[in-house]
Amino acid sequence: MINLYNVSFSYPTGEGVKGVNLQITPGEFVYLIGPSGAGKSTLLKLIYMDVFPQSGHIVVNGYNSLKFKKRYIPYLRRKIGIIFQDFKLLNDRSVFENITFVLQVTGTKRGDIKKRALKVLAEVGLSHKRNKMPQQLSGGEQQRVAIARALVNEPIILLADEPTGNLDPVAANDILNILDKINVKGTAILMATHSDKLVQGTRKRIVNIMNGKLIS
Amino acid sequence: MLYHISQGIKGLLKAKFSTVFAIIIITLSLLVIALFLLFIVNTQRLVESIHERMELEVFIDNSVDSLAVNNIRMEIDRIAGLKEVRYISKEEAAEYFVSQFDENIFDILDHNPLPASFRMKLEKDFRTSDKSNLIINQLKQINGIDDVIFRQDLLIILEKYMRIAFVFVLIVGGILAFGSIYLVSNTIKLIIFSRSEIINIMKLVGATKNFIRKPFIVEGIIQGLLGAALAILILIVALKIISIEIPNLLVMHTEIYWNILALGIIFGFLGSIFAMNKFIKY
Repeated sequence: MINLYNVSFSYPTGEGVKGVNLQITPGEFVYLIGPSGAGKSTLLKLIYMDVFPQSGHIVVNGYNSLKFKKRYIPYLRRKIGIIFQDFKLLNDRSVFENITFVLQVTGTKRGDIKKRALKVLAEVGLSHKRNKMPQQLSGGEQQRVAIARALVNEPIILLADEPTGNLDPVAANDILNILDKINVKGTAILMATHSDKLVQGTRKRIVNIMNGKLIS
Repeated sequence: MLYHISQGIKGLLKAKFSTVFAIIIITLSLLVIALFLLFIVNTQRLVESIHERMELEVFIDNSVDSLAVNNIRMEIDRIAGLKEVRYISKEEAAEYFVSQFDENIFDILDHNPLPASFRMKLEKDFRTSDKSNLIINQLKQINGIDDVIFRQDLLIILEKYMRIAFVFVLIVGGILAFGSIYLVSNTIKLIIFSRSEIINIMKLVGATKNFIRKPFIVEGIIQGLLGAALAILILIVALKIISIEIPNLLVMHTEIYWNILALGIIFGFLGSIFAMNKFIKY
């Protein structure tokens, strides 16, 4: 489903990834562990094709970076859910509108929008807070809204870039539980984190990254 | 489409100051362009009326008899571009002399030296110095014609000033158009910056480039339309006031209003396209 073949990319500052080989199969849960500046976010950006390999290539859900045209980006991204440490919610819209917004801008039929938005809000346990504004929610709840937004287009993989970085341990654990549930239903997850503690005792696959290189 | 229009209006309301500023600049630019068009239309009207009054006069040799005059008439009729050909006999020429100088030619001379002539006008499409020259040469080649008189110098001067005025209008109009497009583009850039967060989220969740762009195109077109509407309103009011004070001084064609409206839309559309090409990319 996701294959990286000897992928390298570096920013002018020198940060990036070098010679990365990685395969993620459907339904897999993978932790990407590494310190700040190790290349975790760059690796995620390469997968959702915000940046492109300077050498090597990536195949995501059949889209090959070597033959990729920029006009394919929206269609690739509809199959990838993305969540961030800072949630990236629209603060001038309610929880419900944050979700329906995604469906509106991706051309979902009007009749389906409400039904699908309510379904994902139920999955993250926020149905009762659908009319609240993001600022009226706790950090953990805001991240759950972000997860709902990422899931509403039924992606094949959820990319999570330090999703618990801004949360207290209880809220962080809550988010991990939700990600687990999503994974059990069949959505693959690649979660980047700098926290070793978070993955202690996990049976899931762990990929370490350091100075842009994967280490086994 | 409703989504794009509502987003476009929301964007304009958010950037009120720069929107109003851009609309005012579009209005002023279109007003100046409209004034130039008004000037051109009315100068053309003046030139047309001068052209309409300009006559070619063909003098016939005194030795030519009446049969030959008929032949000359037939040959003149064969030349394309001439209209209202009138024969002025020697007697009519003498009467014309009296009307012009208030004196009888026979009081000065014992005979009538004034030749018979043909007077004629040029058809609209032949009122250029090149075409009139061609006609004069054809006339001169007719047997029995002594001389051809035509105030061609006036025609040349009129053509020259019309050309200068046209080039001037084109240059100033071009500069104003560029300025308007630049300002609309800047307003749209400000709106794009103020909405960079939502644009980034749209990109992340898979909105197409066209979907992201449409509200900004709507914004540009609305600015252009409002600017043009304001310019047209000011023009109508100003022309109404002028026509009350000095009736028939200026003529305004309805097409000019449509042209202004179209120009406003084009300025707004191009302004938004330039801004987006720079700031909304994947």
